[in-house]
Amino acid sequence: MIPLLKRLGLNKYTVDQKPHIEVNTDICLTCKDKPCTVSCPAGTYEALPDGRIAVHYERCLECGGALVICPFNAIKFRFPEGGVSYNYG
Amino acid sequence: MSFDADLIIVGGGLSGLSAGITAVKEGLNVILLERGEYSGAKNVSGGRMYVHALLKLIPDALERAPLERPITKETFEFYCDNKKKLTISFEEKEKKNSYTVLRAKFDRWLASEAESLGLLISYSTLVLNVYRENGGITLETNRGVLKTPLVIDASGVTSIVFRSLGLRRFTPDKWMLGVKEIVKTDLNLPEDEGEVRTIVGLIKGVKGGGFVYTNKDTLSVGMAVTFDSLPKSEFPAKDLVEGFRERLGIEGEILEYSAHAIPYFGYKNLQQLYAENLIAVGDSAGFLINDGFTIRGMDLAIGSGIIAGLAAKKIIEMKDFTKTNIYYDMLKESFVLKHLELAYSRFELLNKAYVLNTYPEVLCNLLSDMFTVTEERKTLIDDALLRLKEKGISLSQALRDILSVAK
Ligand SMILES: Cc1cc2nc3c(=O)[nH]c(=O)nc-3n(C[C@H](O)[C@H](O)[C@H](O)COP(=O)(O)OP(=O)(O)OC[C@H]3O[C@@H](n4cnc5c(N)ncnc54)[C@H](O)[C@@H]3O)c2cc1C
Ligand code: SF4
Repeated sequence: MIPLLKRLGLNKYTVDQKPHIEVNTDICLTCKDKPCTVSCPAGTYEALPDGRIAVHYERCLECGGALVICPFNAIKFRFPEGGVSYNYG
Repeated sequence: MSFDADLIIVGGGLSGLSAGITAVKEGLNVILLERGEYSGAKNVSGGRMYVHALLKLIPDALERAPLERPITKETFEFYCDNKKKLTISFEEKEKKNSYTVLRAKFDRWLASEAESLGLLISYSTLVLNVYRENGGITLETNRGVLKTPLVIDASGVTSIVFRSLGLRRFTPDKWMLGVKEIVKTDLNLPEDEGEVRTIVGLIKGVKGGGFVYTNKDTLSVGMAVTFDSLPKSEFPAKDLVEGFRERLGIEGEILEYSAHAIPYFGYKNLQQLYAENLIAVGDSAGFLINDGFTIRGMDLAIGSGIIAGLAAKKIIEMKDFTKTNIYYDMLKESFVLKHLELAYSRFELLNKAYVLNTYPEVLCNLLSDMFTVTEERKTLIDDALLRLKEKGISLSQALRDILSVAK
């Protein structure tokens, strides 16, 4: 299996200075299943031992899933100005 | 109040470009805003396009467009478990009804066609917020503010214009995640042949299926599954396409990894398609057919884009921007809504949790029994009833399901 980071590294990214995804991690503290960690195709959300979530926003593939994957509306998502570009699509 | 254009189109994918091409041909003053550096930079599809709508837009497209291969062979594979698989294949040489495409190439070409017809496209322009003002629509972008009396929302499934105005509600069961890899390969196929494989049941837990499409010298390998089923999947979303590709035994250099949400509303659950000053097209309107056999969004995007361009002309001529229902009336008469309605019974069937898992399993077990000869042998119908009963499905339910496919 090709590791995720290698796969993501095949794409061209222009990373914005300001994160385009914000997570209210206070809400994450009360969330047991953390569906975002399994539902994001870019592995953007990582569960931390303290019950919060780390957000690797620079990995985002801009699939749009962030608008539906959190059942508690903890994720604020907008498209970045730069972000990912595909060669094949 | 002064406006920047008669019509602003948000999104330079297939639906937006088709609307733009049609509108400039109709003589309208149009601006198209695209957040990507070029059209196709942000777009993802599995890659099989039915070309009837494209040929309406650009009649000689088959000679000029960057198409990959015509699809001359269809294969359906249903996995029951790792050891049992049912395959159906159909070949039709010289068929020119659908082609594989790669969007970064195709959309870029379509955008250059549009620009040569006079469409003004502003790239790297991201619409951030939208509100109503003085009888028109104001669009806030990263490059400043634009005002117009009429907007075509072609921004894809995330539908920025309708969403900003509170006209969209998204849920994980009404969206699918599409993930895809492009794999370099040496295809032993003549140039005028191509294959589509549709694969169900290989990855357990998810609702949806996978595909393998042949391009010129690459394969598009991917899956489309509902977001709400992802937490039940054998693989997390980030490894879904990898797990799928490995199980299929496809090897080769990986050239790209992409993902995109896909609308999965179905005809009867479509969201608002128009409002005062507003029209939605393509994925932004939820125009997608996924009936288990095919995923069709691209021809619907082009078809609805063409209709929106024509409707815009009528609305602008009337100078009455409340009359966007003209668009809906034209849509109803077109293949777009007719095909969506026709596909709804199959869509409903697929939406039942048991269908994608249970029926293939019943069928496999039945076939396995058929090909196994022992002294104990039942008639096919008795065996079928028993196998269905094991799964808690009555004969009448199975018949109803089978008939709904035929609708
Ligand atoms: C994995 C996968 C497999 C698929 N397989 C098939 C298939 O085999 N056949 C088929 O016909 N269909 C398929 N589809 C569906 C098909 O890709 C879509 O239906 C089609 O792309 C819709 O076109 P569109 O122009 O409406 O939207 P999009 O192609 O999504 O275009 C929307 C455009 O709007 C731009 N945009 C978005 N937001 C903003 C903003 N805020 N400001 C400015 N610009 C913005 C985007 O950059 C993009 O260019 C598949 C989809 C996926 C994801
Ligand atoms: S938009 Fe898609 S890729 Fe980006 S963080 Fe959300 S789920 Fe992950």
